[in-house]
Amino acid sequence: MPNAPFQLKLHRFLLKFYPAGFRDDYAGPMEREFREELAESSGVFALARLWVRLLADLAVSIPLQFLREVFQDARHTLRLWAKRPWQTGFAILALAIGIGANTGVFSVVNALLLRSLPFQDPSRLASLGRFFPPHGSAKEFHEWRQQSTYLADAVLIEQFDVNIGEVQNPMRAHLSYTSWNFFSILGAQPAMGRWFRDGEDEHGNNAVAVISYGLWQQLFAGDPRALGSTLRADGVPLTVVGVAPAGFNYPSNSDLWKAADYSPGNNGWETIARLKPGVTWRQARAAFAVEADRLWPQRTKIGNSEHYPRMTSLQDELAGPVKNASLMLMAGVTLILLIACSNIANLLLARTADRATELSIRSALGASRARIVQQLLTECLLLSFVAAIAGLFVASWTTSIAAKVQQAPLPTQSYSILDGRVLGFAVAIAIASSVLFGVFPSLYVGRVHGFGARGSGGTRSARLVRETLVSAQVMLTIILLAASVSVGRAFVNMMKTDRGFDAKGLATVSVSLDGTTRGVKGHQLPYFEETLDRIRRLPGVRSASETEFLPLYATGFVGGPFGFDGHPAKQNSTMVPVFSDYFKTMGGRMLYGREFNDAEVRSDANVVVVNERFAEEFGSAADALDHEVTLGSDPPCKIIGVVKVMDYMTDTMDTAHSNQIFVPAHSPGGFVSTFVVRVDGRAEDFLPAIRDTIRSVDAEVPVFGVKTMEQRMADTLARPKFYHTAVLFFAGFALLLAVIGIYGVVSYAVARRTHEMGVRLALGATPVGLRGTLLRHGLLTVAVGAFFGIAGAMLTGRFLESLVDGAKSIDLATLISSILFIALIASASIWAGTRRIAQLDILEILRIE
Amino acid sequence: MSSKDRQAESKLPPLSPAFFHILLSLGEGERHGYALKREISRRTEGKLKLGPGMLYGSINKMLELGLIEESDDRPDPHLDDERRRYYRITNYGRKAAQAEAARMRELAQLATTTFRLAKHA
Repeated sequence: MPNAPFQLKLHRFLLKFYPAGFRDDYAGPMEREFREELAESSGVFALARLWVRLLADLAVSIPLQFLREVFQDARHTLRLWAKRPWQTGFAILALAIGIGANTGVFSVVNALLLRSLPFQDPSRLASLGRFFPPHGSAKEFHEWRQQSTYLADAVLIEQFDVNIGEVQNPMRAHLSYTSWNFFSILGAQPAMGRWFRDGEDEHGNNAVAVISYGLWQQLFAGDPRALGSTLRADGVPLTVVGVAPAGFNYPSNSDLWKAADYSPGNNGWETIARLKPGVTWRQARAAFAVEADRLWPQRTKIGNSEHYPRMTSLQDELAGPVKNASLMLMAGVTLILLIACSNIANLLLARTADRATELSIRSALGASRARIVQQLLTECLLLSFVAAIAGLFVASWTTSIAAKVQQAPLPTQSYSILDGRVLGFAVAIAIASSVLFGVFPSLYVGRVHGFGARGSGGTRSARLVRETLVSAQVMLTIILLAASVSVGRAFVNMMKTDRGFDAKGLATVSVSLDGTTRGVKGHQLPYFEETLDRIRRLPGVRSASETEFLPLYATGFVGGPFGFDGHPAKQNSTMVPVFSDYFKTMGGRMLYGREFNDAEVRSDANVVVVNERFAEEFGSAADALDHEVTLGSDPPCKIIGVVKVMDYMTDTMDTAHSNQIFVPAHSPGGFVSTFVVRVDGRAEDFLPAIRDTIRSVDAEVPVFGVKTMEQRMADTLARPKFYHTAVLFFAGFALLLAVIGIYGVVSYAVARRTHEMGVRLALGATPVGLRGTLLRHGLLTVAVGAFFGIAGAMLTGRFLESLVDGAKSIDLATLISSILFIALIASASIWAGTRRIAQLDILEILRIE
Repeated sequence: MSSKDRQAESKLPPLSPAFFHILLSLGEGERHGYALKREISRRTEGKLKLGPGMLYGSINKMLELGLIEESDDRPDPHLDDERRRYYRITNYGRKAAQAEAARMRELAQLATTTFRLAKHA
């Protein structure tokens, strides 16, 4: 018999694949039989036949036995659950929220950071930020990109909103100007027609456009005759040469693409590039830095890293605004899941200890430790499985909120849980958490089994494990609480920020004169004057005005290095053209002087209103009146008013551009103009009337952005508000879990030590005294958790500071109040958990014993 | 007869070939697993060879169903290994086997009638 010991060993190894129960019962006989069969098989042929038959038998019987035992255990588990529906329901709920929130947030991370962009070889695409390659002409740009040592290709993109469509039915569309090679760098294929050709981005050849699939359907109802037809974008006729494939809307939901128009000094370009084959990102970044220094030496001298050119992968660039927030949320939900796991571990540990008698009986009846552990793990896996199914609902809810708060930059990046990776993640964390909370009861079983100890579940080390788990929960909860205070405070500050205007009762409607007959020089002012005149005559309208930049929506920066009586200011100022009554309508506060009158707007008088911050740079704001604002060789303008700072930035914490110079809007309608109307009553109710009034002046002018100022602010603040709510929810949920955990541990301890308590009471201890002892003991556990929580909170604070605008590291006061809060809550739950002591009947207890 | 037996008898399950053969073998007397396997193989002239997994899987299930039970008696302690587990048929198992045999008989009769008629037609 060739090498029998090895074959026996192999057979024994294979038997290990049977489930524990079956193995316990039959591994012995099976091994014996194999030994006999082995002895009887002589010759290689017989041996081979024996092994083939054996393997075939194992392949069928192992899964079969597994299924059988899993079903057995599952039935047993369901019976246990039915006995404790509340406890089970709570565990499933906590876990479902943990798994669901994790899966939901992961779907966002997956869409933005993990799923590759829908372009050819997307990992080699780079975004060159704050960098302007030579772009005085098509020739200049294309020569630069062709000579590049580290880039295989590069494109320029500039984006605008434009008016397109019929004269009577104007609409707004997002237009991207691109160099001719835009589509080829992304490797996209047109749905119909062609992309731009080499040379079509040269001046005189560039009246060609590619339209999006959506626009093709909308304007041409999918008619192939769209090719070759003419489309007017801001009045400029463009020949449609191609249709992009469905779902292709890069960049920023573009509706159409036009061949670029180069001009020196245009700083509106974005540059996208593809790395040369064989060039690593590190090499490319180094080469890029050298080139940026060479092309823009003065830029590097600003010393402000924010303005330094940088090369990032296109994926990171697109994920940019939400990347940090998603990572923060991911960290938050991970903590939640950990807390839920430690809570359930504690719960199961208590339950297992309660079942010590049952388990030791089973063990005495021959169930091996492995068999009992297998049953406990099945219980845990079943719990996770049910929770994961419920969690998918939580996840899909989370994703839909995320999609509302922050749309994915590309349509193909839509957040979805119906994705292999996301579902895999859900399964993985479900299994990981069941292992995490299943490991403690399993270890405990080892002890029960080892000692055959009947009902001695309250041993010291078991209690230590439970208390450690509570400490861990307290630690994680303090971290989350501190984080929520930190993010919450940033949010409250943001909401409290004095924006310098009153959003209530303010209606806003935008128009664009681009490409319309009203957009011609000399026709703009009369249009606005007439429209304002009609709006002001509407019943219920208190005042109305117009501005070229609405607060919070100053997307473009227009302005410059304005000075004061020839002295340069420290920073650039934003220039905001406005009509008369602007500050009155906006609810702005005129600190000194007055605002413009109609005559000054009409005559383009050299007068300005400055904001307080600008004025204070040159002395007291009150003294600024009648001084002059200067800008290069432009005629100086007299300051006629000083107004309180108006919040013009979308990112409210960024005050870099908070110097404002308001000028009379003598030639308005340049880009997007917005009428602002202060009304009596609810602004919503006036929106239709105002919109119709504006349309009645000229139906050719597209009217859009029909919103109240409060709606606009809600849109802008939706994201921070969501983060704030999310973090607050995390902290609240963590706190709830911690309370339940502490309460559970204490009331369990009391239940187990009923006899001891009875004896103590009989010996003269008072119930209050006993409860006090337990309280002190419980608070010690909390204190240990709090100690580590402080360290964690400090680290988290630093992490948050880098992730969330305006979030500050946690100060001592916040930390102490968080800990006191936890201690208070813990004391309350310990006191509630020990209330049984007060009701103990000593005689009853001692009699039972 | 216990109430379990009575209840079970009313709905005696059809038996799989492996179960039926195991019951048949045990009908002749108590046996351990390996002996069962050899007996079945002999009885079917090698056509039904139960692998160890399938054999003990079936035994496990039959124990659970109450068709067989473990026996503490040893036929001849001198001849056999004491550590082996022996199984014997229960009353319920005997009834199930009888019911299965009756079913087979009916089936065989039906087949005979059907094909004899078919032959003459």
